[in-house]
Amino acid sequence: MTESTEISASLEGVLKDEILRMYQEVADNPRNEFHFFHGREAAELFEYDPAWLDRAPEGAVNSFAGVGNPHQRSSLKAGETVLDLGSGAGLDSIIAFWQVGPTGSVIGLDLNATMCRKAEAHAAAAGARLDCRTGAMEHIPVPDASVDVAISNGVINLSFRKRRVLQELFRVLKPGGRISVADIVSAKQLSQSIVNDPKLWAS
Amino acid sequence: MFRLLEETGFTRVRSVVVPRFRFRKSSTQSSAEAFGVKAVVMTAIRPAGS
Repeated sequence: MTESTEISASLEGVLKDEILRMYQEVADNPRNEFHFFHGREAAELFEYDPAWLDRAPEGAVNSFAGVGNPHQRSSLKAGETVLDLGSGAGLDSIIAFWQVGPTGSVIGLDLNATMCRKAEAHAAAAGARLDCRTGAMEHIPVPDASVDVAISNGVINLSFRKRRVLQELFRVLKPGGRISVADIVSAKQLSQSIVNDPKLWAS
Repeated sequence: MFRLLEETGFTRVRSVVVPRFRFRKSSTQSSAEAFGVKAVVMTAIRPAGS
């Protein structure tokens, strides 16, 4: 391992901890103010159907921390298998389940095991079935070619290894499968001071 | 990320800007604008036969 990759691995570990801390805080203290919009306010900003937000458990809505609305372009159909990359408190997974119905299935993925259990509880309260797996998006614990649609909301930008994440998404999708990903992109190369600041990266 | 999707093998890569995305704090929003940071929804397909 070269010095630079050792530094990257070290920084990646710090970053992972900061991401876990920040999104745990959103889940535990949704009334707090963060530098990004979250909860129902954010979901309404991104034009989530108000009927979905009324129907979903309050805990899932209040902890929503996405950056857009992947459902507007996911075109989910009954019976499909969906992967929600970075499922958080479960709002997007629940909405996906309502669209694929009982003949379909939704797999969540989150770094945080506690968050996974919370998302599954929210899903159960909403009459949805969610199989949330704890793991990293760079190593998705899902078999090859087993997913019809992958959705994600404000998550891939958090990875240091985006190419690896996209390769993993490609691997788990069935041929002909599709993604609908809401995320943050930058037109310019971020400065090293931003890249090296876990708090800014995690945001 | 658009380019990475194509390099990974995805096809029909499309993106639309999330028009109402912004950061809550004006200082963060200003910094984000300086770097051309925006939210998008990207769609793409793993080609049949791949």
